[in-house]
Amino acid sequence: MIQKIKYLILLSFAVMLTTSCNKWLELKPQDGIIRQDFWKTKEDVNAAVLGCYASLFNTTSSLFIWGEIRGDMLGTTLKTTSEQLDIINGNILSSNSITKWNPIYQTINYCNTVIDFAPLALTTDQTFKQADLNAALAQVRALRAYMYFELLRTFGEVPLKLKSTSSDADLVQLAKNTKKEVYDQIVADLTFAEANAPTTYGDRIGDKGKMTRYAINSLQADVYLWGEDYANTITACNKVIASNQFGLISGKNPDGSVNTQWFNTVFYNGNSNESIFEFQYSSSVLNPFYNMFISSSKQFAGSAIVMDQVYTVDLLDDQNKDIRGDLSSIKAGDLTIWKFAGADNVKNLRTSTTSYAHWFVYRYSDILLMKAEALAWTQKGQDALDLVNVIRTRANALPGTLMNPDPTSAVDVTDYIMAERQREFAFEGKRWFDILRNAKRNNYAHLDYLLSIETDIAPSDKQTFIINKYKDVRSHYLPINIYEIQTDKNLIQNPFYQ
Amino acid sequence: MRMKSFLTRIFYCLIALVLLSGTTVMAQQAKEKITIRGKVIDKTDRTPIYGGSVVERDQDMRYVTGVATDLNGNFAIKISNPKNIISFSYIGYKTVILPVNGQANFNIELEPLSNQLGEVVISANTKTNNGTGLNIDARSSTIATSTLKAEDVQDLGASSIDQALAGRLSGVDVGTTSGDPGAGMSIRIRGTASLNGSSNPLIVVDGMPYETQIPSDFNFGTADEQGYAQLLNIAPTDIMDITVLKDAASTALWGSRAANGVLIINTKRGSIGKPAITYNVKFSGAKQPNSIPMLTGDQYSTLIPEMVMNRDGLPLDITTNKEFAYDPNDPLNYYNYSRNSDWIDAITKLGYSQDHNISMQGGGEKARYYASVGYFNQTGTTVGTGLNRITAKINLDYNVSSRIRFRTDITYTHVVTDFNYNKTIRGVAYNKMPNMSIYQYDEYGNLTPNYFSPAQNIQGQYDATFNPLAMALVGVNHQLGERITPHFQLQYTFIPSVLTATFDVQYDINNSKTQTFLPQLATGRPTTETSVNRATDADGDGLNIQTKTNFIYQPKLKEGHSFQALLSIQSSDSRSISHNVATANTASDVLQDPSNPSRTQNSDLTLSSGASQYRSVGALISAQYGYLDRYLINVGIRGDGNSRFGPNNRYGFFPSASGRWRISGEPFMKKFKFLDELSLRASYGHSGNVPGSNYSFYNTYQPGIWGVYPSNMELTNLRWETLIGKNLGFNLGILKNRVKIDAEIYQNTTKDMFYNNLQISSFTGFTGVSMNVGTMDNDGFEININTIPIKTKNWTIGFDFNISKNINTLRSISEFYPKTNGTKITSNGVYQTFLQIGNPFGSYYGFRFKGVYKDADATIARDASGTEIIGPNGQKVQMRFNYPATNYLFQPGDAMYEDVNHDGNIDYKDIVYLGNGIPKLTGGFGPSVTYKNNLKLSAFFSYRWGYQLINGTKMNTTNMYNFNNQSTAVLGRWRNPGDITNMPRALYNSGYNWLGSDRYVEDASFIRLRSVTLRYNFTPKFLEKFKFKAASFYVTTENLFTWTKYTGQDPDVSSGGDNNPLSYNVDNSMTPPGKSVLFGLTVGF
Repeated sequence: MIQKIKYLILLSFAVMLTTSCNKWLELKPQDGIIRQDFWKTKEDVNAAVLGCYASLFNTTSSLFIWGEIRGDMLGTTLKTTSEQLDIINGNILSSNSITKWNPIYQTINYCNTVIDFAPLALTTDQTFKQADLNAALAQVRALRAYMYFELLRTFGEVPLKLKSTSSDADLVQLAKNTKKEVYDQIVADLTFAEANAPTTYGDRIGDKGKMTRYAINSLQADVYLWGEDYANTITACNKVIASNQFGLISGKNPDGSVNTQWFNTVFYNGNSNESIFEFQYSSSVLNPFYNMFISSSKQFAGSAIVMDQVYTVDLLDDQNKDIRGDLSSIKAGDLTIWKFAGADNVKNLRTSTTSYAHWFVYRYSDILLMKAEALAWTQKGQDALDLVNVIRTRANALPGTLMNPDPTSAVDVTDYIMAERQREFAFEGKRWFDILRNAKRNNYAHLDYLLSIETDIAPSDKQTFIINKYKDVRSHYLPINIYEIQTDKNLIQNPFYQ
Repeated sequence: MRMKSFLTRIFYCLIALVLLSGTTVMAQQAKEKITIRGKVIDKTDRTPIYGGSVVERDQDMRYVTGVATDLNGNFAIKISNPKNIISFSYIGYKTVILPVNGQANFNIELEPLSNQLGEVVISANTKTNNGTGLNIDARSSTIATSTLKAEDVQDLGASSIDQALAGRLSGVDVGTTSGDPGAGMSIRIRGTASLNGSSNPLIVVDGMPYETQIPSDFNFGTADEQGYAQLLNIAPTDIMDITVLKDAASTALWGSRAANGVLIINTKRGSIGKPAITYNVKFSGAKQPNSIPMLTGDQYSTLIPEMVMNRDGLPLDITTNKEFAYDPNDPLNYYNYSRNSDWIDAITKLGYSQDHNISMQGGGEKARYYASVGYFNQTGTTVGTGLNRITAKINLDYNVSSRIRFRTDITYTHVVTDFNYNKTIRGVAYNKMPNMSIYQYDEYGNLTPNYFSPAQNIQGQYDATFNPLAMALVGVNHQLGERITPHFQLQYTFIPSVLTATFDVQYDINNSKTQTFLPQLATGRPTTETSVNRATDADGDGLNIQTKTNFIYQPKLKEGHSFQALLSIQSSDSRSISHNVATANTASDVLQDPSNPSRTQNSDLTLSSGASQYRSVGALISAQYGYLDRYLINVGIRGDGNSRFGPNNRYGFFPSASGRWRISGEPFMKKFKFLDELSLRASYGHSGNVPGSNYSFYNTYQPGIWGVYPSNMELTNLRWETLIGKNLGFNLGILKNRVKIDAEIYQNTTKDMFYNNLQISSFTGFTGVSMNVGTMDNDGFEININTIPIKTKNWTIGFDFNISKNINTLRSISEFYPKTNGTKITSNGVYQTFLQIGNPFGSYYGFRFKGVYKDADATIARDASGTEIIGPNGQKVQMRFNYPATNYLFQPGDAMYEDVNHDGNIDYKDIVYLGNGIPKLTGGFGPSVTYKNNLKLSAFFSYRWGYQLINGTKMNTTNMYNFNNQSTAVLGRWRNPGDITNMPRALYNSGYNWLGSDRYVEDASFIRLRSVTLRYNFTPKFLEKFKFKAASFYVTTENLFTWTKYTGQDPDVSSGGDNNPLSYNVDNSMTPPGKSVLFGLTVGF
């Protein structure tokens, strides 16, 4: 009986607690925004889209390292970390933190969040029209495609995560998708994005820092070129060319003298007329390069071949220089990576508070050289060489780097384009992917291209070891980080690293 | 209806009721007035008492009217009701209470109180207090508790209670985070029941929960929890007793937050008597023991070039690393880098502390008081650290009548702590290159008074390294805390000694400010960087309001039965706000406040603010029934609601039951005369734990530099973490309680354990999520033995002993939880641990160290029979490391590891079990000798037995892997082929010479003489002469000696922080724990 009364009292308390106290216990954060209160207006959607762009800032060091560390442009210093050295020495393990893809997928999640929730604002904000929504979705889907393209080229097979993670109920264990599936998703996102993205955002920072239709076309060209779809590559390039919005900044003034402002215009200030898409670092958001390239404990410098073989020196006239070489991409004296470290084309370095060089994703020269590469593989070798010459002329490329490939030999023309790309896009995170694209084309018909480059840069005692590894083409993709393997039962390690 | 307003309404209703009943009573009795006269005199010398009070009281002892006696002790009082009673009292005399009964003349003799010295009212039976309000005799307690009295700890040099608790109570583990003044402590009761999140116990002071944690979203700039030691800043002398609730039946009454155990602290209160003033003073000195010997500058600059050379045969480039050039033509570097500096000595000094406390207590029938003021000042053993604290406390009790009583307690604490700007200062000093000068030399070789702080050198730049002395002296980290805790209580008795109610409300205002400044002098960096003249200022204000409403029902039952029941309703509301400013590049080293013109431009420098709120409610029903003083049973249930959960999981219910059977009370036990007490106790209970962060059940978005992005996911599945505890205890007292044994055996199972940052696939966009991940057991036993082997007229010798064991075992865990600690056993300096469901925590694995390859021949791989392994081409195969992933060939001078499987390759297949870092037994013991109640010598030992510790200090000071200074042990390193030694060659940033191996694993069992105290109580004769009531003098020394086989510095490493089943204990201390001597004096007037 006593027990019964107790239960009754308890029950009445439970009822009282749940009814009268529930409100009292319902607290909302006072200094944050919760999802239920967000996604009401077009400003909310716009802020979330900008958040996706801002998250790109976290990806830059991965993009740089993935694109350069296995190439032939980087040299080491005393402060190069052991993990970086491991990759350079071909000792690539899944425990290496360089194989972490976290920042990339974080951006993808931000994009997915916009894709999932932005449509909610249509109902609450009458001024927010379907077209505005589509323009927002176009940008985030283009960003998502860009991120997956980086993953595809770096890891090969990756899981496609296309829904946002907003609640612990959304947690899933995904398996890897095939390269084809990832590629198809990228193409689909870009197709939607191209159809809906605006051509301009009304100001220069917007036009260079956000996904305009031309930036999307550039990305399409890059993706199709990777997919060996040359017709679409040319189409995409032509769309950018035909827009007449972009042009090359010449290395020479009209009077024939050297354009001393070239470095400042293109790299120090950025957002030049030849820029298509750049990460907009500024004094309020610094890039990660100060510790990597500039400070006394810098981790990387250029490799010894950059001046000797890539740009070369005119032994007769030391004033006759490739404008992209000394004090533009690199400082010949101490091999500092000048493109991101230089404060001018004389000698001054950026400081820890002025290290905000942009990250250059696409410049107009890339469009011309991508088109050239596609032309070379569609039996238009001479047209390709003409485009290469446009680049060379404006940059005052030295005769030492001139090659005269047979226009009918796609392989020779492409090797020449690759050499030009190496000069043009030094340290812009493209070199390894160029090497890999060239080597893997037509089912690894040109693997020797990759092997010869790796032979040149491998330390003598590790040469055989490294070359033997790279002969197995599965080793060209990084392993999935051990962390991901441990946290997802369905994720299978890339075959070379199993 | 809101809970709080509901409570306040009840509160007001009751006050109204009380007032109403009082006035009606008075109204009825205001009619007939009688005058009473008389005289009050002293009973012994029969002198009149002047100023004595004569008071008319009603049946409830409520004050009706009163007068004072005149010079002759005469009085006259008009009383309103002849049925009332009349009381005669005077300070220092026993009160006389008589019924009026129509009598008109009273001649009263007051008897002086014989003993006025007692500080605490001694009642016949000590009560245990589980803090909730039920008053149960200690001998009838059904739960597992242990209590520490103030006398037990007052002799120690402890600046706060948690320090004083260390090692005193079985099952309570107190760990230090650092020896610096103001450093916080971690307290663990019966192991850690949670994987992470809060593991500190709930602390209840005078019946109200006391907030000891900083809200997780409080951002204090550079400060961390260590800086919030003032959270538990009650002056130790104000404490009457500390009780630890250990089993779940007792903690269940506190519901949420009680899963980690409960610490009940009661402070001293006033008692009837003349004002008694007590003055306590303590002085202490502490010395940092000598560190392990490190290389001198000369030895260091021999080692470094050799180490770099060994890497790839290329010598150290002394044109860029001029620190090692020793080139007299470059005088600046020559003079500044040719020293033999002792960095540790430079930043170390003797520490001193002084602690003064004056208290006054006393009172009369109606009002009693206890008031104290304390001042504590400490300078640490590291230059630049110190603590200043002022505490004030006043506890007032006022009896309106025998039915209504008020209590008002106000505590105030003011703390100023100076920390080093950088907490790694001692570590940096150990690593600092000894050939570098502390003060700068000019180019002529003259020593200047400026600190030598180069922008960078071979060891790197700020914040990897800096000039430790400059950092200690000119870096600022100044923390200020102000805390006021007013607590009000109203007690009303509905039916005398049957139904009583108490209403409590406590405000806790806790404000902190942290100011730091990092001057250019200390970092040497160029003025464009944010690490130069960097000033921060952080403010955090917390306000916590708690209420508690108790109804205690204690019916009068037939002889042999006893019953008590409690209904308690509690609420808590905590708000906190914080503001942070961090700026850099003020114009000068003396402009140390961020309000000076300075930069705030990039993300490294911030202006930020935050606000947070947290609420909880709880209701508890608890009852205890006893039959014939032999069979006792206690049941309780508590319901809790908490704002940290989403609507689905907001409420938790926590039942408990416990019982006690006093076997010694049974008739058949009567013949065992020597037996005073023999009881069996059993208990079962649930208690809960809430997540550490607020608002986690919302999907939140956070504004960034450009836009807005999702900052965390919505946690819809987060549930209460529940601890289910079972406890079996027994109490034995024999030979007039000269031998008392308390033993407990327990099993605590934590269900739905929280894990804050459970790893999830990063393709979700996140790397961690908070979740309930599994079940963990804490099993163990505790035995407490108190004995008085010798007790004669002059001598009393006592011996106390406690021993306990706790085992952590995972029973189940989420599949997302990592299965190993994720370290790569093939990297230097780490050990492998594995998650083993059903096995206790703490085992680690690694290689077996076999010495050093003395020459090229020794590096040839050999099979199990010892013959050399021959390759396919007939060549001799060298020992390899981690083939094919790494493929390093061992060189002469490299560390040699056992090739367990004899395949010529050292890899993960060669790792073996090396040890377990969890002690098999821990505890303490202490003898005490008292002579004639005047001289008392007591000692306290603590011990841990049966565990293996990783000597991290040895690892870090002998690895010769980077430019850190090393210990002199490396002088015996391998240098030339044929050298036979156990110390491998120096190898800069490469090789595998310090893999996790048994080279660093040692048996760390120890017994430590933690304290010895000699106390002298002055004789009554002496006291009389000086008009003192009491006086004593004592000397305490701490950490005098440690008996151990362990060769490192401190075998007593407790794992602070998260209770990670994959972690292992490492001793990184460079010095043994500090020794201190304390002198104290207590005088009562």
